Order: sequence, then C-alpha cells, then structure tokens
Amino acid sequence: ESPYLSVRICCQKLALDMFSEALLCFGASSTSVDEHDNDADENSDKIYIDSIFPECKDVDECILNAANSIGLKEIPRYEVKMGEQCNWIKKAQESFHPVEVTKGLWIVPEWSTPPDVQATNIILNPGLAFGTCEHATTKLCLLLLRSLIKGGELFLDYGTGSGILGIAAIKFGAAMFVGVDIDPQVIKSAHQNAALNNIGPKKIKLHLVPDRTFTASMNERVDGVVEYLSSHEIRGISETEEYDVVIANILLNPLPQLADHIVSYAKPGAVVGISGILSEQLPRIINRYSEFLEDILVSEMDDWRSVSGTKFSPI
Amino acid sequence: MATLKEILTRRPVAATIRLTVPAGGARPAPPVGPALGQYRLNLMAFCKDFNARTQKYKPETPMSVTITAFKDNTFEFTVKSPSVTWYLKKAAGIESGSSRPGHVTASTVTLKHIYEIAKVKQSDPYCQYMPLESICKSIIGTAATMGIKVVKELD
Repeated sequence: ESPYLSVRICCQKLALDMFSEALLCFGASSTSVDEHDNDADENSDKIYIDSIFPECKDVDECILNAANSIGLKEIPRYEVKMGEQCNWIKKAQESFHPVEVTKGLWIVPEWSTPPDVQATNIILNPGLAFGTCEHATTKLCLLLLRSLIKGGELFLDYGTGSGILGIAAIKFGAAMFVGVDIDPQVIKSAHQNAALNNIGPKKIKLHLVPDRTFTASMNERVDGVVEYLSSHEIRGISETEEYDVVIANILLNPLPQLADHIVSYAKPGAVVGISGILSEQLPRIINRYSEFLEDILVSEMDDWRSVSGTKFSPI
Repeated sequence: MATLKEILTRRPVAATIRLTVPAGGARPAPPVGPALGQYRLNLMAFCKDFNARTQKYKPETPMSVTITAFKDNTFEFTVKSPSVTWYLKKAAGIESGSSRPGHVTASTVTLKHIYEIAKVKQSDPYCQYMPLESICKSIIGTAATMGIKVVKELD
C-alpha cells in the first residue's frame, strides 16, 4: 500500500552518528545499524546504515545534502531498493504471542491456538490499532473490568483502539459495549475483532468522534468543534448518565480537558477508570478527576498507573 | 562506566535504530512501522510508551528517538528533543543546508537563536551537566558546517 525506499549506505564508522542524524534531517524516515552485519568486519573502518525514505524523496539529493552538512570529504556509496509494506507488517505480527493477563484470562492473536481452551480467551487481530494485550495499561484496565463486571452492565470504552476492553467486558458478562475513538482505522479493527469473538451487532456499537482536545493554535477551531458536537453527539452516542462502567485508556494530555465529558456518560454511583498515564502524570489526573469521582483507587504496573473512582451521586 | 553485573547481563543487541517521531503522535505506520517492524519489535508497545513519555512536549514536535533492539525482540529507547540541525534549519527558515559550506551562506541566525536552542538541548539526557557556553559553541560549529551564518542581531 505505502511503498518506501530502502537504502543501504556505506559510510565511515567515525562519521556514523553525525551522518545518521544528518540523514534524518534531510529526508530519511529512519536509519538503522545492524549489529551482525558489522561484527564480521571489526577491522574495517566502514559501516553499513540501512535507511528508509518515503517513496517521493529524491534520495540522491538527500544523501548529498546530508554528507555536505557534516563536511564529509566523499559522498558515501549507496544502493536503493523498493521496500514492501507486507514485509514489516508480517514481521511485526510475529511479535504477538498468546498472553495470560491473569489466571484464566488470555489474549490470543488470531493466528494462534489458545493455550488454555477452558479459559476466557480474547481473540485479537491487533492490526494497526492500539490495544496490545501486553501493554501494562491494558492489563490494568482488564483487571479493573474483571473486578467490576457482574453481568448485564452497559460499558463505555473511551479510546477503544482494538476494542479489547469492550470485548473483554462482553466476555465477562456485560450486556453491551459502546466504543469511541478518534481514529477511523480503529473503528474498522474493533469491528473485526468483535466478529472474531462472535460478538454480534446488538452487543457492540462503535463511534468515530472528532479529536476534541485543543492546543493554543486550535482556539479558532473550538467554536467549530463545539458546533459539530452539539449537532452530532446527541444523535451519535447514547445519552449521558447511561453507563455502568466507563473506562478511558488514552493519554495524559486529553484527559483533563475531557474529564467533564467522559464522566458525564457514567450513571451516578458508576465506576470510571482512567489509564494510559505514567506515574509522574498521576497527580494531575487525580487532581482533575477528584472533582467528579470519590473513593479513588490507584493501581500500578511498572511505570504505569490506572485510577478508578465512583461518580458522585446526588445527595 | 558500566558495572561488571551490567556487562555480564547485557542482552545481545540486534540493531540500533534512529528516527524522528512527532511528540504524542507515534502510530504503527511509517516511519515507525517499517523501521521497527522489521526487527519484530512490538510496535504498539513502543507507540504507547513513546506517546505517553512525550506528553510534556508541544504536540507534533519532531523528537529524535534512538531505539536499541535486542536479539530477543525486546527494546529500549531514549527520546531527545529535535536535532540541532533541525532547530537551525527552522531558525534560519531554510529547507536544506548550503551545498557548499564555507562558500555560499544559506541563511542567517542570531546569537539569541543559538542561545534558545542551547537551552532546549541542555534538558536532553547526557547534556544536563554541560555548561551552556559549550553547548552554544557546538551549535555555532554545526551552523558553520551547514553554511548558516551567525550574526549578533538581524537588521
């Protein structure tokens, strides 16, 4: 689909760091140096750099500029080949193996057989969407879901990625899951994954939403966004205060701005879970979300944290 | 200096990968996909980790990432602010450096630019204990090789 150019460049060992940096500056997408390629030639003063360029780039010009910018005496020799998307996607998929999140709960890539057929197995084709079983925050959210779902709940997954949390919720007994994301690729992946787990359309609804977060440069667009939301949102997703469990496993930056919005979907007394954050980002999240949630609990795994709390009920 | 324990338990390295990724914007697609995928690294894990750790930067700032891919398909990475050459190009308002350094001046930057860039770079790992003056000198040197002239003030 998106072809790229794979360029093998031979340069002086001494110039490696500076030249790699210069290549990135003048148009290369990435550079890599393989250890095994270069082990054999320890006495040589030359080294190979494998560089990737977007198809449209003029590789000759880029290498020339890079070499000149660091004052190389000779332009390094190089060889250009067409790169294929299928190669790296296939290899990346090979990094997925079945993972036991906790006793009796496995995440299994579509192309593997579940090691424990009796367990709760979530089948996934991770594709190009987020939601890898192995990430600490996904595990934290899965464990939270496991402890919360008793049967029949309505679950909102804000930032659904591969749909993994929603699928897990259904398997644990939830009645329905609504997944929301800003990435259209995700909507497609999540639908496919739901199908892999035999989850029918009655139990899952997926919605694409606009990226609501704004930085200073987007202030002009805020009015437009607000207008869009007020005309689309009510129709698109169920009304507020409907969900028994809401989880947002995204990133630090959007979370404070979205706090109002995310919590509004939860019923009073329902549990809201937040993750995708690092330990140093935790205080800011707790600060913001304690305006809406009580009985706040923090879970940790390595550097990652998840926060859960209960939405205030009206007195 | 690495401790003896570190040396003995050091994992064998498969490759060292460098790329530029926008802060908070890593996706399992080019440039990340092809660069990391070919070493069977977990793309999603990298993207999630990288995005979370670059939340403190202005979104879309091109970050310099260096990834050490180990033979067992695990990896480590360090993130630095954009390269000095990138900042110089931005400050000078040019797309590429001069093709004949020392001969044709591609553009100019001021001492203030140099100072501002040095301040950003000082917060990179490994630069924290370098005196600002040394960093400035190094940046001025890089500017020279790029054919960028450094002036006191712009007219």
